[in-house]
Amino acid sequence: MKRKTVLSMAWENMKQRKLRTSLTTLGIVIGIAAIVSISSLGEGFRSSVTTQVTQFELDVIMVMPSGLTGSSQTRLTEGNATSIQNNITDVKVATHVKLVPFPQVFKDGSHNATTFAALGVNFTEFKEIYPGRFNFEQGSLPESLGDNPIILGHEVAHQKGEITAEVGDTVRLVISSSPPVSLPVNFTVAGILEESGAGSLISLDTCVLVPANMTTSIPGVDMIFVKVAEQDYAENVAEDIRSMFNNQVSTLVPSIMLRNANSILNFVEIFLASISSIALVVAGIGIMNIMTVSVMERTREIGILKAVGAKSRNILTMFLAEATLIGLIGALFGVPAGYGLAQILGYTMTSFRLPQGANPQIPIEQISFTITPVLSPTLVLGAIFFGVVVSVLFGWYPARKAAKMDPVQALRHE
Amino acid sequence: MEDLLEARGIKKAYKMGKVMVPALRGVSFKAAKGEFIVVLGPSGSGKSTLMHILGALDRPDEGNVFIDGMDLSALSDDELAEVRLRKIGFVFQFFNLLPRFTAFKNVEIPLALADFSDKESYERAKEVLRLVGLEDRMNHRPSELSGGEQQRVAIARALVNSPSIILADEPTGNLDTTTGWEIVQLMRRLSEEKKQTFVIVTHDPALAEVADRMILLKDGLIEGIKVRGERL
Repeated sequence: MKRKTVLSMAWENMKQRKLRTSLTTLGIVIGIAAIVSISSLGEGFRSSVTTQVTQFELDVIMVMPSGLTGSSQTRLTEGNATSIQNNITDVKVATHVKLVPFPQVFKDGSHNATTFAALGVNFTEFKEIYPGRFNFEQGSLPESLGDNPIILGHEVAHQKGEITAEVGDTVRLVISSSPPVSLPVNFTVAGILEESGAGSLISLDTCVLVPANMTTSIPGVDMIFVKVAEQDYAENVAEDIRSMFNNQVSTLVPSIMLRNANSILNFVEIFLASISSIALVVAGIGIMNIMTVSVMERTREIGILKAVGAKSRNILTMFLAEATLIGLIGALFGVPAGYGLAQILGYTMTSFRLPQGANPQIPIEQISFTITPVLSPTLVLGAIFFGVVVSVLFGWYPARKAAKMDPVQALRHE
Repeated sequence: MEDLLEARGIKKAYKMGKVMVPALRGVSFKAAKGEFIVVLGPSGSGKSTLMHILGALDRPDEGNVFIDGMDLSALSDDELAEVRLRKIGFVFQFFNLLPRFTAFKNVEIPLALADFSDKESYERAKEVLRLVGLEDRMNHRPSELSGGEQQRVAIARALVNSPSIILADEPTGNLDTTTGWEIVQLMRRLSEEKKQTFVIVTHDPALAEVADRMILLKDGLIEGIKVRGERL
């Protein structure tokens, strides 16, 4: 029998029972939509995470005392950075960074303090760690530390699109080991950094950088930034550093973070896709159910077809053609439906991602990222293929039953 | 005359609950090309079973059916289907048309199964519908046709692949006398024009009048054969 004839007969039969056909197809639409929306969101999430993580300088390692507070056992010292640089191979630069506790930044004449992260760094060494992020919008790297220079992150100097600080302005910063004793120290803005975006181990946009010699009153060192000669060595170097400190320090290696993020995403994606596959299996059982009923109802018709010369495989093809059409139509509607659903979900998830207590002055795009669902051709074709396969698979049993019917029995059927 | 169809010692029994009930107990006869045969018998005489076995729809427990010298018992299910498609046309008491399809589509089904081209299929279906006098009703569905018209569609469907044998099971059983008679006349005319062999099973003795030969079936056995003009 010609394919065209089989398909047109199947189509006629489906048209005859519009409600039943639509409901059966709806099952497939929902199943496919579930898989497509979850997978495209997953892909979107993966690509935004990957974009963020790949912005990390993969050749920079951060070393911190074990236990994030650092208050307890091991405390890093200024000397540690030097010994890392001198004793561990493949290390290009190692520099220590101090966090100013409870920093309060007062701008020119203002008595309103704003809270930003304040880091005490060696400017030259720190620039070597992040050369790509040390582009100045205004000013430059201070040549001398004479008049207490300070470098402002992009957001520190800009708020709601307006410039709030300029090179040469005076900024007051309280530096103390424990509040609220000390008085603010005056700093002169030496440079304002260009926006560097998310994706470094620290967010430079919301930092102010002060010379390390201004923070000597703060005991210990909070972090050591290490730049390795080749990004491939990062993991080995991190291991060497940990063993040098008898595992009393922890290290942050961006490439490991990237790998972990990816494997978690893989797992989550597969997990969610399997859950949504259940919807498709349920739809498949729906097809099996409806087709079994349909075969029973059409027993006599099957008998007639066999009497006029239809072979078992003709009958099988006719019923499988119906299942295929249902799967195909279901998938064709399911893919856009799933993509639409993913858009809505992606939008909703993004707008809920504003962290509690976040600075409302910072526009949302800068603190969270949007999940844009990704609908790859592979996903589209895969979904259509999957929809058809499930339909044919579940349609097989009833179709087989129809094909194997004894013509005489079938003809007698009332 | 050459034998087109031969039944040789056909036996068939059905299981009713736990007992086997014989339907045919050894039926043998031959039909020549172009012959018009009526098998007459009361209900329960095994007429329909014989029809199904002659028509390659069912297999006998014992005995053989030969069509054009070919032994049907040697054929697979698919090959039997092929025989039904090419060599046999069925006409049933309850017409057995597909209710969702128009008269034309119903007639076209065997052509579609036999892989005719669209053009040839259209012409053939139209031609047989003209032959049974339904060319102006061919776009109606069975529910829009009278009983007589539906049976004409069924006859057209049986003829469309130009089979050598047409088997009819109580073709008039569901029609009033006049219409039934018209259908019988139509079949008789077609058999003469097309030189096709007709085997009609019925319980209606009136049909025997048009037969070349009448076979009397009772309790699964042939009780007598009457050639046209003879008395039984």
